Amino acid sequence: MIATAISDAAAPAAISAAGLVKRYGSTTAVDGLDLQIPAGQFFGLLGPNGSGKTTTIHMLATLVKPTEGRVRIGDIDVSQHPVQARRQIGLVFQESALDRTLTVRENLRFAGRLYNLSPATSEQRSAQLLELFDMADRRDKPVATLSGGMRRALDIVRGVLHEPRVLFLDEPTIGLDLPNRRRIWRFIEHLRARTGMTVLLTTHYLEEAYPCDRVCFIRKGKLVDEGQPQSLVAKLGRHILEVEANDLDALRSQLEPDLGDCLVDGDIAFFRYADEDLSTLTRMQTETARLTSAWRVRRPNLNDVFMWISAGKELNS
Amino acid sequence: MIARPIYAVLEREVVRMLRQKTRLVSAMVRPLIWLFVIGTGFGTVIGESRGIPYQTFLVPGVIGMTMLFGAMLAALTTVYDKESGVMRMMIIAPLPHFWIVIAKVLSAALAAVLQALLLMILLALLGYIGAKTDFVLLAVALVFTSLACAGIGMLTASFTRTLDNFAAIMNFVIFPVFFLSGSLYPVQDLPEVLRWVATINPYTYGVDLLKHATSNAGLIATDFSRWTDIAVLVGFTLAAIAISSWRFSRETAYEPMIHVLTGKRS
Repeated sequence: MIATAISDAAAPAAISAAGLVKRYGSTTAVDGLDLQIPAGQFFGLLGPNGSGKTTTIHMLATLVKPTEGRVRIGDIDVSQHPVQARRQIGLVFQESALDRTLTVRENLRFAGRLYNLSPATSEQRSAQLLELFDMADRRDKPVATLSGGMRRALDIVRGVLHEPRVLFLDEPTIGLDLPNRRRIWRFIEHLRARTGMTVLLTTHYLEEAYPCDRVCFIRKGKLVDEGQPQSLVAKLGRHILEVEANDLDALRSQLEPDLGDCLVDGDIAFFRYADEDLSTLTRMQTETARLTSAWRVRRPNLNDVFMWISAGKELNS
Repeated sequence: MIARPIYAVLEREVVRMLRQKTRLVSAMVRPLIWLFVIGTGFGTVIGESRGIPYQTFLVPGVIGMTMLFGAMLAALTTVYDKESGVMRMMIIAPLPHFWIVIAKVLSAALAAVLQALLLMILLALLGYIGAKTDFVLLAVALVFTSLACAGIGMLTASFTRTLDNFAAIMNFVIFPVFFLSGSLYPVQDLPEVLRWVATINPYTYGVDLLKHATSNAGLIATDFSRWTDIAVLVGFTLAAIAISSWRFSRETAYEPMIHVLTGKRS
């Protein structure tokens, strides 16, 4: 589709998927997805609810068998060698993968043993990781007594305890407040810098995907567009015009001939505007002043890309 | 390689068992009630049977009962695990999924053995375990009976979606397995149909082996030879592990489990 496989031809792909399909009865959750994610990349898999993101992660992480297609983690074929593949990956689910009845320390020792880590290694690594989250003093507390943010942090510590080469984060910050979300992102940033691990992220908070090296939008199980966040945003043009009006139809019939198709959300119409020079827009504002109740011009962001893709519209005009 | 993950599951089971004091206390109280209330009650009706008091006959049965309940309840927690974070941790770990089943069976059996040992200390103090006990055979009986009971529990767990119908499991699995064994009466004295059912009940052979081990030099009549008992218990345990593993691998590989674990499919 776009410049994918070529992007980093020298580095071997940490994750590669070819012709990935998952069907559940008559529904197709993932429909012919190709992915090439170079080692060390911070990759965002984005898309509306039900677009197939989680199913894709589960197939990449050996937990769901693809109906068709092939997945490789490094040079390991996931269908043929799921156990070896799981050794290379860490996975943080949308819901916590911890035993609430055990303490923080017991959970991490349990997780470490599942990866054949000696108690000493688990202990030493978890001490370091918990320190990064300021949770060193919580080690002997039962997980059930931790706050949501801390539990999520512990889940991530659990996911990276065995030092995976690839980390899957499925909506890691869902349901958390802003300070906790920031804390988690600082932690991931730190881990990436220190270990060079590949991170595949899905999220609904699109501003969190902005630091990604590359994002890929999927819709109905198909890849719609991908690239650097900045370049995807740039495809929308230089400005986004948001107009509020009571009679949107009248407004659209006036503006669409000049500005092209708009996107409607409630009583707001979103138009794309490619030029840096705003004089045309200013003229239009005066002409439609009697129809509009608000008129806002701003730079586009990933949320706009998401909205345009969710609405099934092309980014390139 | 696999020893450490299995150890992790065993350790978790023991930690949880020691933490759940009520579970441990009721595991001790239940058999003692049977021994002292039912045993005394029926003892007065029956009097001596084949030359021994009914209570003495009941001792192997209540040791078996502790193992049956202990192992069944521990193995059935797999159903809870399926909906919880623990199973998420285990299915992404680098081990073939059938090892999760084996580890759970072993941990349930371990819980049962520990509970049975605790009960036997109490029984020994009360004078119900005589010096003529064959302790080597008793150890063998504890291990294989616990494993078979864990196998029954794991089979039940692998065909059960939720524990909402725990009462049904109690009524249709645990009670029949307990009552239709030689725990309360000699199998050979049962009417033909019940004897036939008891003969296909693997737990019967566990109780029989316990009778061999604690029988005080042949006081309690046994129903089968000790080698038959061991062969049936081992054979059943292996079959139960194989069937449960097959069910479990299908569940993890072909979707239902991951959807239960994550609550959605998109």
